Amino acid sequence: MPEPTTIVPAVTTESADGRRSADAPASAVDPTSVSTVSRPGAARRALRLGVAGPVGTGKSSLIATVCRALAREIRLGVITNDIFTDEDARFLRSAGVLDPERIRAVETGACPHTAIRDDVTANLAAVEQLEVDFDPLDVVLVESGGDNLTATFSPALVDAQLFVLDVAGGGDVARKGGPGIGRADLLVVNKIDLAPHVGVDVEQMVADGLEAREGRPVLALSRHREETVAQLRSWVLNMLAAHQAGLHEPQDPGPMAPHFHAGEVEPHTHDEAHDHDHAHQG
Amino acid sequence: MNVPSTTLAMMLADSRLPIGAHVSSNALEAALLGGLSPGRIGEYLATRMDTVARVEAGAAVLARHLAQRDQPLAALHAEWAARTPSRAQRRIAAVLGDGLRRLADRLWPGSLSTDAGSPRPLVLGAIAAIAGLGPRDLARLVAYDDAQTVVAAALKLEPGDPRQGTALVLEACARFEPHIDALAALQDPTLLPSAGAPQIEGWSEDQSVLPRRLFRA
Ligand SMILES: Nc1nc2c(ncn2[C@@H]2O[C@H](COP(=O)(O)OP(=O)(O)OP(=O)(O)O)[C@@H](O)[C@H]2O)c(=O)[nH]1
Ligand SMILES: [Mg+2]
Ligand SMILES: [Zn+2]
Ligand SMILES: [Zn+2]
Repeated sequence: MPEPTTIVPAVTTESADGRRSADAPASAVDPTSVSTVSRPGAARRALRLGVAGPVGTGKSSLIATVCRALAREIRLGVITNDIFTDEDARFLRSAGVLDPERIRAVETGACPHTAIRDDVTANLAAVEQLEVDFDPLDVVLVESGGDNLTATFSPALVDAQLFVLDVAGGGDVARKGGPGIGRADLLVVNKIDLAPHVGVDVEQMVADGLEAREGRPVLALSRHREETVAQLRSWVLNMLAAHQAGLHEPQDPGPMAPHFHAGEVEPHTHDEAHDHDHAHQG
Repeated sequence: MNVPSTTLAMMLADSRLPIGAHVSSNALEAALLGGLSPGRIGEYLATRMDTVARVEAGAAVLARHLAQRDQPLAALHAEWAARTPSRAQRRIAAVLGDGLRRLADRLWPGSLSTDAGSPRPLVLGAIAAIAGLGPRDLARLVAYDDAQTVVAAALKLEPGDPRQGTALVLEACARFEPHIDALAALQDPTLLPSAGAPQIEGWSEDQSVLPRRLFRA
């Protein structure tokens, strides 16, 4: 099976110079063609796209940005995960970027990471219900509750995932690595407009991310910089096109380091029971 | 899939069962905020064993009985709801019932007799009917799960010696044991125990509107 990075163009800061190659033409994802895709292996259901990352790095804002950029072109739905009640869902509804009924909250209780990884029951039920209620949807965005650097989505819940860091969390974070930083489908270095104020070198942070990710894409983002929003938009459309064409294989970013089994060609990682209690950030 | 009743009970009682149950504290969080002292969690469990756990276990046993005979569960659902006056309790029972139904659909495809929205005790009873879990194991499973849910939540809310929590679970199960015979013999939904616990119902309601709660129920 093809490596996803070979079909999804790497979106890096280098493309900030306005190269059009990163911008998929709108026709690449014609909404009317979605439900009629019938190539073997092609997906019929919506692309389920996870957005993970530590507390406050801008996951909800990123989802609002994606909705703002794409809600007129493709059919979107959103599931938020919150430790406490449904604040993120309410924030997104009030942002006015998507029909409020298409935004639903899942309450994860004390461990947000269980709900996206070990026991995805509540999230899967919510995603499936949303897909039924608004059939057909093109993309369902799932925001994880802000957890720590080890929290990533199970491929049983999402087809692809973004891991969101921000410059305010410190320039070193990308270098520290971890499953989300190293192996999410896209690493976002968010709030780059703040970099001068917090003394962070964005180029260095992106370079650290690229190194930790062995070439997987890194996107430097600020919702205040249109060119970076355009790159995010393209990445989502490219991933959707790959999903619809049956060319994207969901990957588990971790928690284990990539390894080989006898008879396998591609390295992979494993799920592991989350049977510990741990402090969550925030 | 043919496994003995004991194995089924162990599997269904395992907190690692993927049905999304980690969001419930059985209202312990609201109870602690409402003044229950952590030293009295054993008493909270004892009260649950004599009240809500009997209703839940009885409903599960009755669902098993009816499902085995291909009889409808609607009347039982109504009897259970009448004895579960807290809307919050009925809600979380439906959410957890749905998680259990999703699991059962995978383990015993197409065999489950409960509708979507069925509360957990009814889904458990229906599973017991198709998988061969006996009425006694079923009633004990409900009680064990009720106590273990409270104790696991207590370890997050008011951490103490976890071994003490395990002792409390066993004590609760022992407390429940005298109810087993009567519960296991139930066949008529109208005879489902009506053992209300207004304080627990109140805490369940409080829990459903708690700001910044760690547990949904
Ligand atoms: N300057 C700047 N601030 C941003 C940007 N994106 C988000 N923020 C701010 O960052 C803060 C946190 O944003 P959220 O989107 O709520 O972050 P989150 O990751 O969803 O937070 P949790 O769900 O609580 O983990 C808010 O005050 C946002 O306004 C950005 O691009 N630039
Ligand atoms: Mg958020
Ligand atoms: Zn966790
Ligand atoms: Zn392996």
